[in-house]
Amino acid sequence: MVDENTNTAGQPPEKAAIAVHEAARHHIDDGRLIRLFDHFKREWQIYVMLLPTIIWFLVFLYKPMYGLQIAFKDYSIFRGVANSPWVGIEHFHTLFANDQFIRAVKNTVTISFYNLLFGFPAPIILALMFNEILHATYKRTAQTIVYLPHFISSVIIAGIVITAFSPTAGIINTFIGWLGFEPVYFLTQPQWFRPIFVGTGIWQEAGFGSIVFLAAIAGVNPSLYESAVVDGANRWQMMWKITIPSILPTILIMLIIRIGNVMEVSFELVILLYQPATYETADVVNTWIYRQGLQSGQYDLAAAAGLFNAVVAFVLVMTANTLSRRFSRTSLW
Amino acid sequence: MSGVNLEGIVKAYGALQVVHGIDLTVAEKEFVVLVGPSGCGKSTTLRMIAGLEEITAGDLTIDGRRMNRIAPKDRDVAMVFQNYALYPHLNVADNMAFGLRIRRMPKAEIKTTIDDVAEILGLTPYLDRRPADLSGGQRQRVAMGRAIVRHPKVFLFDEPLSNLDAKLRTQMRAEIKRLHNRLGVTSVYVTHDQVEAMTLADRIVVMNDGRIEQIGTPMELFNDPANTFVAGFLGSPPMNQMKGTLTASGAKIGDAEIKIDGRVGDHAGRDVIVGIRPEHVTLSAEGPSSALPISLDLVEPLGSEALLHATHGDDSLVFKAATNGDIDHLSGVDAVHVPSHLVKLFDAETGHALNFGV
Ligand SMILES: Nc1ncnc2c1ncn2[C@@H]1O[C@H](COP(=O)(O)OP(=O)(O)OP(=O)(O)O)[C@@H](O)[C@H]1O
Ligand SMILES: [Mg+2]
Repeated sequence: MVDENTNTAGQPPEKAAIAVHEAARHHIDDGRLIRLFDHFKREWQIYVMLLPTIIWFLVFLYKPMYGLQIAFKDYSIFRGVANSPWVGIEHFHTLFANDQFIRAVKNTVTISFYNLLFGFPAPIILALMFNEILHATYKRTAQTIVYLPHFISSVIIAGIVITAFSPTAGIINTFIGWLGFEPVYFLTQPQWFRPIFVGTGIWQEAGFGSIVFLAAIAGVNPSLYESAVVDGANRWQMMWKITIPSILPTILIMLIIRIGNVMEVSFELVILLYQPATYETADVVNTWIYRQGLQSGQYDLAAAAGLFNAVVAFVLVMTANTLSRRFSRTSLW
Repeated sequence: MSGVNLEGIVKAYGALQVVHGIDLTVAEKEFVVLVGPSGCGKSTTLRMIAGLEEITAGDLTIDGRRMNRIAPKDRDVAMVFQNYALYPHLNVADNMAFGLRIRRMPKAEIKTTIDDVAEILGLTPYLDRRPADLSGGQRQRVAMGRAIVRHPKVFLFDEPLSNLDAKLRTQMRAEIKRLHNRLGVTSVYVTHDQVEAMTLADRIVVMNDGRIEQIGTPMELFNDPANTFVAGFLGSPPMNQMKGTLTASGAKIGDAEIKIDGRVGDHAGRDVIVGIRPEHVTLSAEGPSSALPISLDLVEPLGSEALLHATHGDDSLVFKAATNGDIDHLSGVDAVHVPSHLVKLFDAETGHALNFGV
């Protein structure tokens, strides 16, 4: 109890100790290289942990970039990547003259737009709602239920959706039947593809996506809320004036990532849910690449389309990041 | 009358009781400081007054109105938090306006209120800045400003200065005192720093382990600590405490005997704790006093004074002595003189102060 009296201000002892240590270390340094080496020696465990990710990137993302050159070549598997003749941007001319490709681009953008419009706010709203649940058991149960679909494979998710919307035995059509209407052939009608696809995506990922926002909410300083309570704010005001502004940086970061993925409409789920009858609204760039490249063997054309996709995504991320940094001081890098 | 009254206030978390029945009356315009070691229940008590913690038992009245079940916003209190609790996404002006907007004060009135308070606190140049772009002291001021603009009946402070460095802390302490003199709002202030408590308080409440040890003005507590805990808590360095036995005219401490005023002879043979303030001893006999032999092991110069760290028997003691610009003459000290009227006695068992009259 006596030590309470001698409590002096200033740095906590451990911080001071670290500062001294750092100072001593930098003093003996005589170059960047030595410092770097010193750093590696001290922190090598961290780099070992990083290694698998780096290898993954090299093997699956950097090595395949070599093959990208076939987008500018008249590629044949017999001649190989290196020996196929260059054709410049001919494949890109072909692509933009292709109605199906143009349609796929439009579909991709449209679906992504709806995904962004409905799918992006969904986990945020969920997180805010979870945050308002005070009963611990009820909260945990609700969270588990909405997280579950994320852990189910897309194949099964698609199976569930197809069954649910089936015109004969599906629960939706059974319900419609009760109301006295004719069954609707949902999955064969182009106008239904987008709502079903976007809805399925939300059902599958909104819960899991809410974890990021819940973590951000958990990081908000509790005394902000206490201060607001003393000031007379109610829960609604606290949500709008404290929670949402506090997690705004997280929301922006997630939005930037999301915008970067605009061209990456969930390929598996489209493949599983679409059919020739719904290509009109359902065929996206990636499914088109898949059909052209793998099924029709036009690898060079498919590579060109893939490159186009990547460039668009890159430009989008850069733009979103720059805008975000300019207007909200938040950015991915 | 906007006083605060606590009667038998108890706080329990489930089976664990952390505040064991506190009785305290804070008069209107009074500045009361709750002080005590970490974990003694100061914050809990303050938060019960604010309404952030439910009161398990007892009665809380503010301004004569029972507040136990009243929502925090209707208690008309404003609280300043240790970490300031500033909204990082709002600038200084909006931070201060937060509570007023929630209370739907007209815009023009908000503006004049904030301009006035910013002027008082010297925040006018910073009104457009975000908290992240302010220094610690400025943030602290904004937190105070946010409380002041509300014109509450009671200010509650929970260690508002503990995140500041020593110099700034001294400065802000004086500023808080000046503000209180100017605004005259009833205040309850929590700290574990006894210097802060002594300098700020009209009255100090010393708490320990969920109980009040003593309530009184700073000088009352300093001069007449009710028990060894208070004696060992206030003052820097705190009071020296030694085991001793009363004799006909004083107390025997180890192999030394010191004279003590009062009718100690009536209790000769009783085991006591003898308390001597570090600053009360002298190096040569001045008036009625007795010598206490010590073996010196360290001299810490503080400038005009020096701390003498010494032992007597098994007791480690600290004394203060004037340096007169030089500490060399202190290295040979082998005894201090204890004025007989300034010695405090405490019961050896209970630690309660003993008073045998003068
Ligand atoms: N939610 C809780 N559940 C159980 N015990 C708690 C809870 N909150 C506080 N306590 C306990 O109550 C006691 C008093 O806590 P309190 O925060 O009031 O201490 P304090 O005097 O403010 O200390 P400090 O100076 O460290 O802030 C502590 O022992 C603490 O462990
Ligand atoms: Mg506390």
